[in-house]
Amino acid sequence: MAAQEDRAVTPITQRRPRIGPRLSHVHLNVWRSLVFVLLIAFWWLMAVFAGQNFLPTPWQTLQASFQVIGDGTVPRATLDTVMVFLAGFIAAAAFAIPFGLLMGGFRVFGATLEGYVNALSAMPRVSFIPIIIVFLGLGYEAKIFIVFIGAVMPILINTYAGVLNCDGELVEMARSAGAKDTQIFRKIMLPGALPYITAGLRVGASLALINTVVAELYTAVKGLGGLLSVYGNSFRMAPYFVVVCVLALIGVAVMQSLKLLERRMDHWRYRGERF
Amino acid sequence: MMADGATLPASTSTLGNEGGIEIRNISKAFRRAKETEGVQALQDVTLTIKPNTFVSLVGPSGCGKTTLLRMLNGLITPDSGEILVGGKPPRPGPHMGFVFQSFRLMPWRTIRENVSFPCELSGMSDKERADRADRYLDMVGLRRFADSYPNELSGGMKQRAALCRALIAEPHYLLMDEPFAALDAQTREFMQIELMKIWQHHKSIVVFVTHSVDEAVLLSDQIVLLRPRPGQVSEILDVNLPHPRWEYDAREKREFVELRHHLWERIKAMVSADPQSEFYMRGVKSEAAQGPID
Repeated sequence: MAAQEDRAVTPITQRRPRIGPRLSHVHLNVWRSLVFVLLIAFWWLMAVFAGQNFLPTPWQTLQASFQVIGDGTVPRATLDTVMVFLAGFIAAAAFAIPFGLLMGGFRVFGATLEGYVNALSAMPRVSFIPIIIVFLGLGYEAKIFIVFIGAVMPILINTYAGVLNCDGELVEMARSAGAKDTQIFRKIMLPGALPYITAGLRVGASLALINTVVAELYTAVKGLGGLLSVYGNSFRMAPYFVVVCVLALIGVAVMQSLKLLERRMDHWRYRGERF
Repeated sequence: MMADGATLPASTSTLGNEGGIEIRNISKAFRRAKETEGVQALQDVTLTIKPNTFVSLVGPSGCGKTTLLRMLNGLITPDSGEILVGGKPPRPGPHMGFVFQSFRLMPWRTIRENVSFPCELSGMSDKERADRADRYLDMVGLRRFADSYPNELSGGMKQRAALCRALIAEPHYLLMDEPFAALDAQTREFMQIELMKIWQHHKSIVVFVTHSVDEAVLLSDQIVLLRPRPGQVSEILDVNLPHPRWEYDAREKREFVELRHHLWERIKAMVSADPQSEFYMRGVKSEAAQGPID
């Protein structure tokens, strides 16, 4: 990057809209830690008021975590859950992104299916679980499929919207330069749709995670969802909350990875920014 | 034409050598869905553009300037009549550079990648493409910004990059649709000089659409005045100011002043006599408003 010193004098005409001080001028980790402390304090307070049979204190939860993590129960369940989640989510992305691109690229195809896609995405996908169990049983196939149907629609709809919202002016520019339809699709529409696709992946990921737990509750009781069911039914609230916390951590890890992926692909938008 | 004709991509060599542009009796109407009567954008326009001339299309809004430009590029086809570019019907491609008013750079690509886009389409190798982009960026003084993204550049820089992109495939025809309209007055004047210099070195046919009479007289060999509703050729004027025009103050020359005055009076008359114009019968002496349009 030889142009490093030039960039400092480059007028930056577009800034991210913001209110208040600039992100780089604040000690973000200080604020984040403060919120963490407040949340723990709130949890503690609620545990004291509600009674520890219903809601364990953070301290009890921590103690329980040594036990259930130490004996391998939670790590095994976590591995199980993450595998199901990843399989379902990746399958959903692998299906929904090309399908959404096709719907956007071939307008007749997209316009024909649009209504059905919307109908399907508005349906509570959990209602399919009994049918899925009939056809796929209670094992991994069924679990992965439940995750798949949870994540597939937001990814599909966002990808489709991304292609439809591509910049018509850029398309005309490419056409005037002699680009063929396939080139316009690959070089203009696809990169233009990327921000929409990554947004779809994020929504899809959180739904996939929820559906993973749902699947583990409804089908063969396994994984973290299975542990929730076991601990919940026997009122062992401290280990129950360990599982809840692990699920929250998985959620954070997944979202952070997607954010990194997004910034890798959309680097021009985030140049010189912290996150 | 250009110093390094050897690197011309194969696609341009099939073209008639520096052929002129022939426009014969073309008409074009635009109509919205479910409308029977459309708007006549162009009616029976005939025009010949000789090789190596800089031609400006001027006229009030609605005279079909941009429509005509798009037809020359082959982006839209006329309802009737014929256009021949270098002896062939027009087709889009890198042999025709197109510069738009809105710069139309891809925000996800660096300036170098944006500029080399037309070469990428014709399948040039990465290395050759980057070299050529850098050479052209050098020409417009943007070499330092080759690795920057469009949102890091000012309007004038963006338009210079867009100009680079139009020139990179070494086109025989350069079509410009109000390219400097979005720039501030000062940047605009510098860009005009820049364009004059580039054209001096890389002679080609330039068809330049502008709303600015001043700009048209300054840059052109020939000015085509169009009249609106329906769009027709009203007058063709030759500009005989000697080149290169950046070496003296062309705006002070008598011919410049007279041409500018003449064109401006004609446009004012057209606008104030056009019932569909927002300036119909306004702000112009009644004598001018009643004056003959053709």
